[in-house]
Amino acid sequence: MVIVGFAFWGLMFLLSTRVLLYFQSVEVIGDLLAHHLLSMVFLTFFSLLIFSNIITALSNLYLSKDLETCHASPALLEEVFVSRSIYTVADSSWMVIVFGLPILMAYAYVYRPGPAYYADLIHMALAVIIIAAGLGIVFTMILVSLFPAQRTKDLIMLLSIFIIVGLYLMFRFLRPERLVDPDTFFSVTQYVSALKAPDSPYLPTYWITEMLWASLSKGQGETRLFYAVLMWSTASAVVVINIWVARAIYFTGFSKAQEAKRRRGGKKILDLFIHLFRRPLGDDLASIVEKEIRTFFRDNTQWSQLLLLGALVVVYLYNFSVLPLDMSPVRLEFLQNEIAFLNMGLAGFVLSAVSVRFIFPAVSSEGGAFWILQSSPLSVRRYLWGKYAFYVPAMLCLGEVLIIATNHLLDVTPFMMILSAITMFMAVFGIVAMGMGFGAIYPKFEYQNIAQVATGFGGLMYMIFSALFMGLIIVLEAGPVYIIFMAHVKGAPITPMEWLFIIPCFFMVLVIIAFAVYKPMKIGLEALSQYE
Amino acid sequence: MIKLINLTKMYRGLRAVDDINLEVREGIIHGFLGPNGAGKTTTIKMMAGVLKPTAGQIIINGMDLAKQPSEVKACTGFIPDRPFIYEKLTGSEFLHFIAGLYRLDHHPALVKRVTALLELFELIHWADELVESYSHGMKQRLIMCAALLHQPKVLIVDEPMVGLDPKGARLVKDIFREEAAQGTTIFMSTHSLEVAQEVCQEIAIIQAGRIIATGTAKDLQKKAGVDGNLENIFLKLTEGKRLAHAKPLSSA
Repeated sequence: MVIVGFAFWGLMFLLSTRVLLYFQSVEVIGDLLAHHLLSMVFLTFFSLLIFSNIITALSNLYLSKDLETCHASPALLEEVFVSRSIYTVADSSWMVIVFGLPILMAYAYVYRPGPAYYADLIHMALAVIIIAAGLGIVFTMILVSLFPAQRTKDLIMLLSIFIIVGLYLMFRFLRPERLVDPDTFFSVTQYVSALKAPDSPYLPTYWITEMLWASLSKGQGETRLFYAVLMWSTASAVVVINIWVARAIYFTGFSKAQEAKRRRGGKKILDLFIHLFRRPLGDDLASIVEKEIRTFFRDNTQWSQLLLLGALVVVYLYNFSVLPLDMSPVRLEFLQNEIAFLNMGLAGFVLSAVSVRFIFPAVSSEGGAFWILQSSPLSVRRYLWGKYAFYVPAMLCLGEVLIIATNHLLDVTPFMMILSAITMFMAVFGIVAMGMGFGAIYPKFEYQNIAQVATGFGGLMYMIFSALFMGLIIVLEAGPVYIIFMAHVKGAPITPMEWLFIIPCFFMVLVIIAFAVYKPMKIGLEALSQYE
Repeated sequence: MIKLINLTKMYRGLRAVDDINLEVREGIIHGFLGPNGAGKTTTIKMMAGVLKPTAGQIIINGMDLAKQPSEVKACTGFIPDRPFIYEKLTGSEFLHFIAGLYRLDHHPALVKRVTALLELFELIHWADELVESYSHGMKQRLIMCAALLHQPKVLIVDEPMVGLDPKGARLVKDIFREEAAQGTTIFMSTHSLEVAQEVCQEIAIIQAGRIIATGTAKDLQKKAGVDGNLENIFLKLTEGKRLAHAKPLSSA
């Protein structure tokens, strides 16, 4: 995990450096681009920090199981609040720091600032984190004082998903890639005004951007001092305000959070939907499927992920619709079909990413109730294969939609359309089997949030093997596809020697898929049967 | 009805259950007592098919659990000590889910049986509420409904009284007696010696993974060589000592 983490860091650093070096090579507006990017990075991270703190604060301040012990102890309310807030800040900020640091180090690498940059970065980033945390925590306290904590959790989760999806779509449809192609703008003025950051001098992100930029561009010291004082005085004020608000409303909100959630299940629509699945499965498997569907749609943290999935698919397809293929020096028909071929790997990776969120945790989702299945007459084999059979159709639909829609946008040859549709159809069986298998090998029945299940060692192993699986398929099919395509382009028949190469390659693909279905499920079955 | 033959369970060199042999006849309520960490829950879980024995056999209703797990589990009901169930199902949905697992979904009397059990355990007004809104005791009662739904021949119960109020506890005792009278074999672990004395016809005491005494209350009395209630017998057999009266810690 550590090696993967460092590899990811390295990749982020390299990419950021590449972008900044490119900006430096752009005359006149290169620095403006870099400045704009820095502002966007801080604005994005600041927003993420606030959201992250809202969600984490709700758990740490209101819903965590050890809070009863804390509040029953002689510790002062402020002490409990401050200690939990510090934990909230650490818990919600580390990921932003991990992702942000390589980008900021890339700036240092390209612009070679003095030591002041690093000192400014550390203390200003800390102040930004404190301000974001303070805003998130105080927002949470106010929200909980208005709604019960359990309801607030659902509201915040839902709101977060909607906002993230909205921002994601908005960002993509703004087409930021135009900024690196000035030809799309009529004039320099129009281009420069497009670079104006959606930032305000009242935001901490503006202060840190200006302060760091002053160090990067070796600017004047007075600006740095002004922004430092502004930032730390605001951070201090936010801390004080938080404590005042906590004294007034925190304990009332905590007390309200102890109330049990009472809600009736919405039955009729789900009943209709479930009825469709019952017939082909036996009573026992149908019950499992029914339970899965009901639980999925009644848990806001689960079904709301479908919104993210929807946004992902929309943006994925949109990316293909705006590909600047006509600007490529390579022959168009060849390029389209080459992209379509590589798209199989990309679509496979997208399916793996979806699988790790929905299929990998399928066994773990039984949670503490797994004993019910262990003590029932339903065998582990039937359970695992039954769940597999349930998830395959959904993933087939998704996979085929991605492939057929993108191939249509790329206007590929009929051969490529058929090949990629069939390849994806068969690959899905392997992707789902690996998801179920790895999920059974690495179950995590004790979790606070089902989303945590995918983020462990098992989830990582699954993604690696899934990527290897798709990579192998692409590699094995590359040669035969090239031969067939070139034969079509030249209008010449495929030679017998070439067929001797093509057939075994496709046969190996079938073997790999069959292995990817059989082996993970077999190992998963054994692991789950032995589980204690 | 239940036979444990040389049953052993080891955890990393520790013998949690050490070569126990036990036989329980049909229609008997058999108590399983022991101090904390004696191996009661481990034994119970092996009998329910939730844990795999390291060695030995479990024969229930004439069938070996290791060789015919589905058939054995189809005639067994299990009530664990902690009521973890699916929070996002209603009480009624949960019972229908259990019915599906035991392939009772198309049974003509299923709906009646579900309603009857919910009424019996006083959960009928909560049938359409999500389980996440149930109290601990209500969840425990719902699990009891689930365990009895398929009319098992053997009921394996781990600490049934935990979380139940006195009314609930009385209800459970009455139900166990009724079930036993109809031929159901009940194997029950409990910390409550009063419950064991009141309800159980036979008792086995386990300590450090081994059965140290088994029989009726009278048999145990003879073995312990003490008169009086089960508590005295139990403490004598397990060599329980009263805590020395500790002086309170002085405040600083």
